[in-house]
Amino acid sequence: MMKNRIVKFFAPYTYLVPSLLIFGIFLFFPFFKTIYLSLYKTNKMGQAKLFVGLGNYMELFQSKSFYNSIVVTIIFVLISVCVSMLIGLLAAMLCNKSLPGIRFFSTAYALPMAIASSSAAIVFKIMLNPSVGIMNKLLRLNVNWINDPKYALICVALLTAWLNSGINFLYFSAGLSNIDETIYERASVDGANEWQKFRRLTLPGLSPILFYTLVVNIIQAFQSFGQVKILTQGGPGESTNLIVYSIYRDAFFNFRFGSAAAQSVLLFIIIMTLTLLMFRLEKRGVSY
Amino acid sequence: MKKRIGSLLLSTTMLLGVLAGCSSEAGTKTTEADVKESVATTSTNLEAEKTLESNQSQSTSAGTKEATITFWHSMGGVNGEAIQFLVDKFNEENTNGITVLAEYQGSYDDAINKLKSAQIGNMGADLVQIYDIGTRFMIDSGWVVPMQELIDADSYDITQIEPNIAAYYTIDNKLYSMPFNSSTPILYYNKAIFDKAGITSIPTSFSEIESISSQLMKEGGASEAIALGIYGWFFEQFICKQQLNYVNNDNGRSDAATSVEFDFNGGALNIVKAWKALAEKGYAPNVGRGGDNAITEFSAGKAAMTLGSTASLKQILTDVDGAFEVGTAYFPKIKDTDKGGVSIGGGSLWALNNQDDAKKMATWEFIKFLVSPQSQAYWNAQTGYFPITTKAQEEQVFKDNIEKYPQFMTAIDQLHDSSPSCAGALLSVFPEARQIVETEIENMINGLHNEEEAVAKMATDINRAIEEYNLLNYE
Repeated sequence: MMKNRIVKFFAPYTYLVPSLLIFGIFLFFPFFKTIYLSLYKTNKMGQAKLFVGLGNYMELFQSKSFYNSIVVTIIFVLISVCVSMLIGLLAAMLCNKSLPGIRFFSTAYALPMAIASSSAAIVFKIMLNPSVGIMNKLLRLNVNWINDPKYALICVALLTAWLNSGINFLYFSAGLSNIDETIYERASVDGANEWQKFRRLTLPGLSPILFYTLVVNIIQAFQSFGQVKILTQGGPGESTNLIVYSIYRDAFFNFRFGSAAAQSVLLFIIIMTLTLLMFRLEKRGVSY
Repeated sequence: MKKRIGSLLLSTTMLLGVLAGCSSEAGTKTTEADVKESVATTSTNLEAEKTLESNQSQSTSAGTKEATITFWHSMGGVNGEAIQFLVDKFNEENTNGITVLAEYQGSYDDAINKLKSAQIGNMGADLVQIYDIGTRFMIDSGWVVPMQELIDADSYDITQIEPNIAAYYTIDNKLYSMPFNSSTPILYYNKAIFDKAGITSIPTSFSEIESISSQLMKEGGASEAIALGIYGWFFEQFICKQQLNYVNNDNGRSDAATSVEFDFNGGALNIVKAWKALAEKGYAPNVGRGGDNAITEFSAGKAAMTLGSTASLKQILTDVDGAFEVGTAYFPKIKDTDKGGVSIGGGSLWALNNQDDAKKMATWEFIKFLVSPQSQAYWNAQTGYFPITTKAQEEQVFKDNIEKYPQFMTAIDQLHDSSPSCAGALLSVFPEARQIVETEIENMINGLHNEEEAVAKMATDINRAIEEYNLLNYE
């Protein structure tokens, strides 16, 4: 009787063990290790050597370069998230009509999803080359796209937007097909125009998926790395030095894990706050 | 509501991934390397068994035991093929039953970073190719067997090595690593544009470049006089040309450097001023960091001149493909009065201490093979790197190559005209320092700072990096 009870009590937990183990090793351990490292300065091997408490954080808050990284990252996230959601939404709405050959277009719009960010960056690097690249040849311009601080960040952000638009297209397509066709017919009978249908029917119907995509896109944009590493290496100057790239440089190039860990923790706090804020706002805008 | 909680949970987990993702790389890097290593060692063992079997019939005459050594290199593309050819040749020819496994490790930066991670787990290669600016780090690391020990043990005649190349890797009269792929920077120019502009004398300094630039652009039809890549290596070379020190303690050679010297000896200011002057007048527009973009501009026939490594000669000639004649000249001085030479760049071979005498001897045999005149002549012809052994210049392969590419002679002469005192600086945080220099030059060209501010910023940032490194790594 007693034994049965114990088994009943513990059984669910044992089912949880495998997933907890995986989470523990790959998420929670590195998580706490990062916090631990952020309180130390590390030697050239990356081992914690000197306890400095919040010293790494203080240094970051006094560093112009870190503020620059934050500003650059925010601009980058704004551009890439807005543009990629817009492209995804437009493409999804266009492909929501049944036309012959629509499958082909759907595949084409979803394709960026399948391209690795670094290979796309290499192709863009050749296309954007000022003297031999196709971009200047087509536009008949002589712009030094990735070496001019005015354009470099925009180039990287637009590349990211295009890369992310594929998965957004997929989400939005799924969302659109979930909206009941008949309500549009009823609205037409009532004399609604296309804009009203979009504003009053499509957007509310899409709102849960829109919200999810927004959250995921923002988190993803904050973590963009491959494009920057290949296209600009954070330059020119520090105009594309996104936080994640700056973390990489500090950790694996300068072997200063302490400072890199501190930046990771701050990045975590920033994204965490943003996400919580968005969930606050969700109550108002999203209808399930 | 339930849905909301579900998605909240989901996003929080993803968020956690942000942080974990960043550090898990740090945390698991060692293990990753360990796994890779253990895979490598298993295959090594297999290979060793194989060679053992195949060698039983040959019977090893020399005293060295069979050994399998791992060689990490950073040579991709054509250069990688050339290295593999040499490795295969050695494996076939050596009678001691030594097998060398060559493993490509990505760029120089990647290789040294992998080595750092691997060494935390106390596993690594037996021989590793490291770039010039990793020299101080390698000496300090305590992982290496100084090349001099191996040389002395074998009474190897070191005078065969080009003295101006060996000087870079010699500290306290001890050769720490064996030079292997060495290069110097030179000036490339487009003879067609020079002829069209009617310029016959090739510039030797920045002031001369400045004086002919508008002629090259107006009459020669070049869209830029010189494609000047923002490359920290050039900055270091300009300091050498002025016979000044980059860092203190005799350029980091008598002892580990504690601060930079280029700020108060005026060297850096001369460089950035000359650079800015060319950029401002539109003679040298910003072509980005590193040397690659500049070379593309030059090969496309847009720039009348460019600076580049001797090792780029072959690539340039291939890209240009006879569209115009490519000339080469000495790397330019900053002022007409500068009298210094150039130092070398490229990589050298470091023997790692794995507490295994058989492997150590095998490594040395392999190094001797790589720097032999035959190997070096082949290496030079295939890649455009220097033959680091003087005798290689007597090889037929070398003579044929010079006949085919007479431009290469410029590089040889330039090196011989230099002196061991122009060996260049050693600095533990050189990769970072180079990055800082490039960032500040870029900022200056883009008008964010003036020349004085750029130099001051370079000095403060590099000094801070040196200070922190010294504090944490020297007791």
